[in-house]
Amino acid sequence: MYKECEKVIDYFNGHLTEQEAQAFEAHLETCEDCQEELRELRELTEHLPLASEPVEPPAEMKQNVLDAAFTAGETTDEEPEANEDKSSSSVDRYKEKQAEKRKLDKPAWLMPVLAAGLIFSLMGNMYAVFQTTQSDEDEAPPVESTDEVLQRVQLQGEGTNANATAAMINQGTEDMLVVQAGSLDPLQGDEVYQVWLINDDQPYRAGSFKSNQQGEGAVAYSMAQLQSEGDWDAIAISKEPNANSETPQGEVMMSSEL
Amino acid sequence: MSRTDKELYALIADGDKGTLEEIYDKYEKLLYSFAIKLSGDATLAEEVLQEVFIKIWTHKAVYQEKKGKFSSWIVTVTRYTCIDLIRKRKDENVSLEEETDIPEEQDPSTEDLAEWREQGQLIRQAIRNLAEEQTIMVDLFYFKGLTQREIAEECNLPLGTVKGRIRLALKHLNSELSNIQEKGGVHDV
Repeated sequence: MYKECEKVIDYFNGHLTEQEAQAFEAHLETCEDCQEELRELRELTEHLPLASEPVEPPAEMKQNVLDAAFTAGETTDEEPEANEDKSSSSVDRYKEKQAEKRKLDKPAWLMPVLAAGLIFSLMGNMYAVFQTTQSDEDEAPPVESTDEVLQRVQLQGEGTNANATAAMINQGTEDMLVVQAGSLDPLQGDEVYQVWLINDDQPYRAGSFKSNQQGEGAVAYSMAQLQSEGDWDAIAISKEPNANSETPQGEVMMSSEL
Repeated sequence: MSRTDKELYALIADGDKGTLEEIYDKYEKLLYSFAIKLSGDATLAEEVLQEVFIKIWTHKAVYQEKKGKFSSWIVTVTRYTCIDLIRKRKDENVSLEEETDIPEEQDPSTEDLAEWREQGQLIRQAIRNLAEEQTIMVDLFYFKGLTQREIAEECNLPLGTVKGRIRLALKHLNSELSNIQEKGGVHDV
């Protein structure tokens, strides 16, 4: 038997028995090295599913899979009503909906962005809210005067110590998004931290910033600069190779729903 | 999106069949393609999806927010399930080369896959750029999901060094990926 710290790999790959996994998780609570290693493994592998070539699933697979799930559900627990008619008609309904979606909701220029939404969601553990400017260096966030805070959220990320808060502030006639972050990993070269506001899976640039030597960074972004307004679902911060990413290229470090 | 995955998942937990279908529609292609990538076997991939959705519907796999994003979670469940099924089969001796006999690809004109394809190409390129032993390490660890001991045996390494090698290979892969992205600039307008 090897000691707990040697189990990270087998834990990550799901090879521990339930009992072993529990013991490891208990160990994990107190072992920062293991937490760090696990976090790193997750981060470093998070985008690897995208290495799969997209393959069109067989047409009948959906029905088979859902039938199997619902049947298993009936035998394992309550849920007595098996409704064949309903499920087949709803399959049709979904197909129609899907076809419609493809036709209506997705103008050609939008498609890469929508797909980026999927990728975005895969790459990131955290989502968040608002928007910032491309002002580079650390900036003192304008949190003074009689500005009114409209909404404030805490961004979080899995397996990172970094933290951030985002606040939407009303300054007279204008709304500003203010993001402050701390405990950030150091950046290299042209890398920046980019703030994204997400609406319907679509990310909008909302300012970028660099971290200082203390790992702190902040940015204020005038909401008037945004090409879209309205209902933001989430805010996120990602690390980007440079300040020009139109969609998130790097890992999402932190996020929050709005 | 009007409802987040989290909200959808809550409805599934309540036994809402339509919602399971919604989640299915959203992730079908990604999970199916991923399972094929892992197993090199389209039939097995279908079984994997079946197994995954049975687990979700019957609460054998339970998503909790603290586990991170739903998308990451469902991908992980798929990976475990696939690794597990492959082990149960035990028939194939999946080697690196077999990755090439992936079933026919889907109609490339489907534009909403453009981004996925691009990213996929970059990642595969990055993997190819690694030293051979690192490529093998990434494959055995992540895509084949071997145990630490199996990797040690396969690569003729002491058990204790496997973890470090995996870490190194993944780190190289990621810096390789950043390099390609910077140079290739597929997305940099």
